[in-house]
Amino acid sequence: MRSFRERSLAQVGVGETAAVADVPGADPVSLRLLEMGLTPGVQVAVVAAAPLGDPLELELRGYRLSIRRREAALVTVAT
Amino acid sequence: MMEPGGRGRPLTVALVGNPNTGKSTLFTALAGIPTRIGNYPGVTVEEKVGRFVHRGRDVDLVDLPGTYSLRPQSPDEQVVDDVLGGRMAGVRPPDCVVIVVDVTNLARNLFLASQTLDLGLPTVVALTLSDVATDRGIAVDADALAGRLGCPVVTVVAPTGAGIERLRDQMLAAPAGPRPPAPDISRYLAAADGSRAPAARDVIARYAWVDDVVAEVMHRSTAPRRSLAEAIDGVLTHRVWGTLAFALVMLALFTSIFRLAAPAMDLISAGMDAIAAQAESMLPEGPLRSLLVNGVLAGVGGVVVFVPQIALLFFFIALLEGCGYLSRAAFLMDRLLVGAGLSGKSFIPLLSSFACAIPGIMAARTIENRRDRLLTILVAPLMSCSARLPVYLLLCGAFVPDVAVGFSWLRLPAVVLAAMYALGVAVAAAVAWVLSRTVFRGPPQPFVMELPGWRWPQVAVMLERVREAAWSFLKNAGTLILAMSVVLWALGSYPKPVLPDDPAMSEAERQGEALRQSFLGRAGRVIEPVVKPLGWDWRLGCAALASFPAREVVLGTLGVIYNLGEVDPGEEEGASMLVRRLKAATWDGTNRKVFSLPVALSLMVFFALCAQCASTLVIIGKETGSWVWPVVTFTYMTVLAWLAAFVIYQLGMALGW
Repeated sequence: MRSFRERSLAQVGVGETAAVADVPGADPVSLRLLEMGLTPGVQVAVVAAAPLGDPLELELRGYRLSIRRREAALVTVAT
Repeated sequence: MMEPGGRGRPLTVALVGNPNTGKSTLFTALAGIPTRIGNYPGVTVEEKVGRFVHRGRDVDLVDLPGTYSLRPQSPDEQVVDDVLGGRMAGVRPPDCVVIVVDVTNLARNLFLASQTLDLGLPTVVALTLSDVATDRGIAVDADALAGRLGCPVVTVVAPTGAGIERLRDQMLAAPAGPRPPAPDISRYLAAADGSRAPAARDVIARYAWVDDVVAEVMHRSTAPRRSLAEAIDGVLTHRVWGTLAFALVMLALFTSIFRLAAPAMDLISAGMDAIAAQAESMLPEGPLRSLLVNGVLAGVGGVVVFVPQIALLFFFIALLEGCGYLSRAAFLMDRLLVGAGLSGKSFIPLLSSFACAIPGIMAARTIENRRDRLLTILVAPLMSCSARLPVYLLLCGAFVPDVAVGFSWLRLPAVVLAAMYALGVAVAAAVAWVLSRTVFRGPPQPFVMELPGWRWPQVAVMLERVREAAWSFLKNAGTLILAMSVVLWALGSYPKPVLPDDPAMSEAERQGEALRQSFLGRAGRVIEPVVKPLGWDWRLGCAALASFPAREVVLGTLGVIYNLGEVDPGEEEGASMLVRRLKAATWDGTNRKVFSLPVALSLMVFFALCAQCASTLVIIGKETGSWVWPVVTFTYMTVLAWLAAFVIYQLGMALGW
């Protein structure tokens, strides 16, 4: 069950940290995000955004990952 | 049991790992310079094999493309899957797999390792970057990891060679040893959300298994602290400082391929001229001498002259890639290029194309996404390369009135010159935008890119990248470019001209007459109706045709066709003579001048957008692995160039410029 308070990773502000709730999609991009380690429970920090606002720089599992806001919207986070 | 492979045939070892794990460094440390580089059949994925001898046994080390998962989503990943599964034509099923595991990024690397272990092949794990990990206060217990995975685990420090001998020993021993078991993830699968698709459940369960393994084998000796690398990262991805640093790095890259390569290119040209002069003095005048000097030697020179730029660009790319900046550059520029249907990774290939499209198109190899790569390659030749500059400079200087535009210091010729560069960029953006919404329409291309940690680049790996790029250019494209220049020489030299027996006729006049009578000259007359709407006479049409080998040739051809002989437009005297002659040129049989401002503009616009560069088309064919794309490029660019030249000429005439 999804809580109404659930939000996507794209809504997490720069400098904030959140825990991944899920990547619920069944599309290839969602699967790739899971494979990159964005699995339920993992702590993700939004480290920076590129100068033009997109893409985002994330830190998770001890490494840095860059995804666009469009992909970040596929990831739900717990609040 | 028979020894796998037997004594006689080489042991095939596949090297598997995530990107940015020090895999290339490890390959070089194990096998040295690759003995075979090519493409896997049917795809443009690079095949790299290095052979070495260990304890009397030949070993073929197959360097597989870096991949995050064995569930293939890209041609690169499909190749990894096919080679490991023994389904790749021309590659023997591997006798042993070496999984490269980056200690600084243990969880994500073990995810790929767990999938690889599922294959049940003899396996050795190589732990890399443990020196960097130690600096960060991370320690991994290799023995505990070996116990958990059920296969040998060797810690290697590739740059110093530590652990390399042990790794080689383990590779040789692994095929005879016990096969590692597939990781038991059943418990984790049962715990995962049953409503999910099987593929997603598998990934979630695997990571749960990986997390348990990591908790067991990884120890943090010190609390993680803000490292120097993180401080650097903070500056280099900063909104203001990061953008400024990026501009400086790109400026350095661009000026060096533009300027540093110039002395080497001049040296090559001078050397080729000397050889040509030598050949000319040794051979009797005749078709053989002409073929050798103007066909073959000119062709060889035209090929070798690209090597300095290619080498320099790939040196810079390897440097940026080695220290981790290449993906940061893509990160910074992505938003700008997304609007045109490209991605951040297209930036460096496109920037390099302002110097020359050949290295730029080759640099598109760094774009993993096939669609983005193809789009980048197709629009790269629209960037105004250094070969267009002399054409612009000559025509701007001669036919654009030197008047101020708004400010006294802003002169019209400079504005027109800048406009030519802007035209190329604008048309490239438009073409990419249209193609990405028509021919290349499809699901949105994801941008999921690791930003690897900052580290010192490995000189051996950098030099290997440079050598590989230069060699693949010479071997693959060089021969074709050479063949094409011989064909074009023949078209410009035959049929043999019928010259009047007039001793008063100068050598320059003879050359001009010969070109006018050749196939090329005749073709110029045939296409006159096509170029007339652009304001060109048949001589200009002929010069445009003759510049197919390379744009800069157009000035030399104009010189020949206007009876000046081979003028060197770089020389003050030659250029001013050419300008005077161009200004005096009239339409055949009339007093009407050929050149005017609209004609000069239409010629410049045509050269800004046309595909008159045989080498570029050859390299597009080689890099895409298909002759469809060079044909597409040539067609669309020529059509656009003609249309734009037509519009500017007719506009100029209508407005009475």
